[in-house]
Amino acid sequence: MMLEITNIHKSFGNNEILKGVDLQIDKGDVVVILGPSGSGKTTLLRCINFLEKADQGHAIFGDIDVNLKTASKKQIHEIRQKVAFVFQNYNLFNNKTALENVTEGLIIGRKVAKDEAIEIGKKALDKVGLAEKYHAYPSELSGGQQQRVGIARAVALNPDIILFDEPTSALDPELVGEVLTVMKNIANEGTTMLVVTHEMSFAKDVANRVIFMDAGVVVEEGTPKDIFVNPKEERTKKFLKRVLPEDYIFYI
Amino acid sequence: MSEGLNYQFLVDTFFVALSGVPIALIITIVSLLIALPLGFLLALTRINRIPVLNRFAQIYVSFVRGTPVIIQIFIIYSSVPLLLASIFEKYNINMNVYDVNPIWYAFIVFSLNTTAILIEVFRSALSTVSKGQLEAAYSVGLTNVQAFRRIIIPQTLVVALPNICTATVNLIKATSLGYAMSLQEITLRAKVAANVGYNYVEAYIDIFLVYLILCSLVEYLFKLYEKRLRRYKAVNV
Repeated sequence: MMLEITNIHKSFGNNEILKGVDLQIDKGDVVVILGPSGSGKTTLLRCINFLEKADQGHAIFGDIDVNLKTASKKQIHEIRQKVAFVFQNYNLFNNKTALENVTEGLIIGRKVAKDEAIEIGKKALDKVGLAEKYHAYPSELSGGQQQRVGIARAVALNPDIILFDEPTSALDPELVGEVLTVMKNIANEGTTMLVVTHEMSFAKDVANRVIFMDAGVVVEEGTPKDIFVNPKEERTKKFLKRVLPEDYIFYI
Repeated sequence: MSEGLNYQFLVDTFFVALSGVPIALIITIVSLLIALPLGFLLALTRINRIPVLNRFAQIYVSFVRGTPVIIQIFIIYSSVPLLLASIFEKYNINMNVYDVNPIWYAFIVFSLNTTAILIEVFRSALSTVSKGQLEAAYSVGLTNVQAFRRIIIPQTLVVALPNICTATVNLIKATSLGYAMSLQEITLRAKVAANVGYNYVEAYIDIFLVYLILCSLVEYLFKLYEKRLRRYKAVNV
């Protein structure tokens, strides 16, 4: 088991967002979390990377065993070395070029030698199809290109797992494809991924496991076929009916 | 005045006024050195709603903004010596409070004043840098200090720079009020020179020109610096 989360709880004020979620991810897994907005998907991801502090919960990251509420700064730093994050709004460093965005974490966060970091950074940008844009600032890039830099930034860190928080939600429809293609490519290379998305085709084609969340709990999980073709829970069926087109035929 | 302007005096006094520039600049630089970091930190307490400090910064800003600088000078210049006198007496320090160089009071007044202005400048500038970039910095393994130094502060500075320039120019001009505590700066020196022959118009013209030149120069330097800092924005704006 590469990542195991147990009984994670999180409230904002009186609003309980996560009501005891468990999650196991193996090496090489591509896990997609589906669910209506407000179901706690994003909060779950953010708690795993300590961008939000969980109220309760436990996590095992490889050989690090940690309480999500009381983790020390040192533990958080260690875990962030293993986990990379791709944001909905890209969150590129606007004062840095594409290449500097990718190498920043390597040089400053991980103390990789500068030459080596640039080498790794260029490779990562090549991989996402931005070999021409090493020295472009985020303001010179389209949304799709910015998100691909965001993915390169995560890949370059060579993390154990990459968390994707609705990576295509902020994009123009015509730019979604290029980002999904990049994600498929890195999934095919065996990268472990946990993806919150509304892209059903990505879940169907790329995921080996799909989790359906609603109102702060995991309602159902299984293979894409289990979830899309034979959903057991009423809530899952209702959700799929809403998000999938009337005449959607599911091929596996 | 019936004889028209005394040109010889006009030229001579220009250099007298000019000799006050170092004092004005020292006060400006010292005040900025204190106010820039302090204003930035207090702006952070405002943005992050740190209890107590946030409230303190808010009240502090309203006090300073809501009172004329000249009154702040009068208050500091009259109350601090009293305070010092009682301290000196208590600890048997053999020193006359009225021998203290007024420049020290100027440092206090103008750094306190500029801090308040910069709190607001940095507060608005900080809010233009998305919190997401800070999160991204954490997620790639940067510490808090690294994230601020490398990502947040450079971008905040670009936005804040025009307002920091305004604050600096205002500060230079405000040092002219230092004459109220007999500070040997531009205004006082020229006025003293004018007292001799009642050549006030000439002296005021000189003072006017010195401030104008000084402030234009500072503005120009800020423009150069801003141009360098905002390279990354040059393309889309």
